Amino acid sequence: MPNLEVVANSLLSGFLLGGVLALTALGLSIALGVMRLVNLAHGELLVGGAYLGYYLLRYTGIDPIAGLLLVGMAMAVLALPFQRLLIAPLVGKGMEAPMITMFGVSVILQNLYLLAFSADTRAIDTPYAASAVHLGPITVPEIYLIGFAVSVLLVVGVHLLVSRTAFGRELRASSYDADAAAAMGVDVKRVHALTFALGAACAAMGGVLLGTAFSFTPGSGGTYLLISFAVVVLGGIGNIFGTLVAGIALGLLQSLGAVVFGDGYRDLVGLVLFLLALALRPQGITGSGAR
Amino acid sequence: MSVTLKQTALQSAAPQWQARWLALPLAFAVLAGLAPMLSDYALEIGFRILLLVTLAEAWNLLAGYGGLVSLGTAAFFGIGAYALTGLVNKLGAPLAVALPLAGVCSALLALAVSRAVFRLRGLYFTVGTLALAEATRLFMINYNGFGGATGLFLSQDPPGLRALYLIALGLLAFTTAVMTVATRSRFSILLRAVRDDEDAAAQIGVRPFRIKLIVFVLASFLMGVAGALQGLKLGAIEPYGMFGIQWTVNVLSIVIIGGQGLRAGPLVGAIFVVGLSELLADYPAVHLALTGVILIIVIRFAPQGLVGLVQAWLAVKAQEAS
Repeated sequence: MPNLEVVANSLLSGFLLGGVLALTALGLSIALGVMRLVNLAHGELLVGGAYLGYYLLRYTGIDPIAGLLLVGMAMAVLALPFQRLLIAPLVGKGMEAPMITMFGVSVILQNLYLLAFSADTRAIDTPYAASAVHLGPITVPEIYLIGFAVSVLLVVGVHLLVSRTAFGRELRASSYDADAAAAMGVDVKRVHALTFALGAACAAMGGVLLGTAFSFTPGSGGTYLLISFAVVVLGGIGNIFGTLVAGIALGLLQSLGAVVFGDGYRDLVGLVLFLLALALRPQGITGSGAR
Repeated sequence: MSVTLKQTALQSAAPQWQARWLALPLAFAVLAGLAPMLSDYALEIGFRILLLVTLAEAWNLLAGYGGLVSLGTAAFFGIGAYALTGLVNKLGAPLAVALPLAGVCSALLALAVSRAVFRLRGLYFTVGTLALAEATRLFMINYNGFGGATGLFLSQDPPGLRALYLIALGLLAFTTAVMTVATRSRFSILLRAVRDDEDAAAQIGVRPFRIKLIVFVLASFLMGVAGALQGLKLGAIEPYGMFGIQWTVNVLSIVIIGGQGLRAGPLVGAIFVVGLSELLADYPAVHLALTGVILIIVIRFAPQGLVGLVQAWLAVKAQEAS
């Protein structure tokens, strides 16, 4: 059995990483909640954000975390034509057609990354990625603290956007009843486009943080998609607070799993928890879940 | 699920049905009779098409007829391959026993996870099966009991290519028989009822959970035997290949490109996909990316696939003639 300090270290790391998971899951959650879209390319959007951050640092020297909003905005702009060309024409054809379309996008992006950036494992190399912070006996990488703080800020920001602004009101209305919202003069098409862009931005910003804390390859997206999905299901679809709680809970449990079974089992623990959550408590951990 | 899947249900007329009784066994007899004459390359391609059509038939049963869009093909395929290797290596089971038993192992996995993946409807089945495939892959890579990331060798030499071709043909014949029963019997009506409206089906006394479970277990069994056969052919298995996402992608694109819920869909789709992969054999990344593009185009412009396009075209012709 590992000693107490190792356990405490890894639990704190898990807690902090959970915040980042919540941010990436939020992107998936709002697309699902508002557009009823299962974005199976979410993981590739995340990895795309990591590549954007990587090349931003390499060619302009802009620190990717200082430029996080820049990466988010760039991904949002890149994502808009996807939604317009691929998703919008499939409205009213059920959930399956858009879902499989996004699966196609996921396969395409993964292989385009492979062709463009090679299969090399990369990491966004910043000075704080390697340095550690000491909190008494506990030591955590600085990037985990930064990632957590930034993620929670962004999650709260999205919460305020959804709950306090005119766009948020239209978004909630479209989510609750698209037809009624349209009848009341909400431009549902525009809301869907912006929702998709917002989801992609969340994924990309989470990707920058994860790409700094860990390494990534063109194929890293699949696991992040599923872990994000686990957070969404645990937290309840469209429930922003629940997503934050579930992200942290999953981060903690994954780290615990890594301590008990070994580091290779980190993601496996997340997936098994997801399947268990589906079997036992599909409505999420924070209660009703439905909006 | 979606509107695009719903038609075609009761299109085929009775005389066609009788002709098929004769045509299908005849086609299989011809394919078997060809075996001694085929070159190694032809046998190789033939084996691949037969295996992929089997997988695609199983997936078509789930998605096209049952409305259960699975992204977990690789899980059941891989478990089948591992089960076969275990049965042969540890127990010395003869192939005639090991192949079906490998399928049973995959069916048991389906049974074990059914509670999780059927708990919520539609998209949760899709995401749940995707999670299952990723989980089994990660488990096999990390757990050392089954060879870990390097995999396992089959302790006996694999049968020759000709024998493998014939076994694959036999498996497809069995699959075709299963599909004929599943799409022509009273069960097929129950299945379509559940697919098109689960609540309405439950209202009239159909038990949706049981119906879905039967097709899920049946399809998983077929996928498991197919995986076992692929493992047998390779003589060595490792988790990245056997649990690889490319099995899931290939099978899904075969059915969607060929035509979901249509009997001829898997065959047409498999020939198309195998042909494409042969053309682009040296560029696997380009091949997969192009498959994704074709998938998106077909969903948008030909939701009934290539077979659906031909059927629509024939219908127009027939109308013009009359």
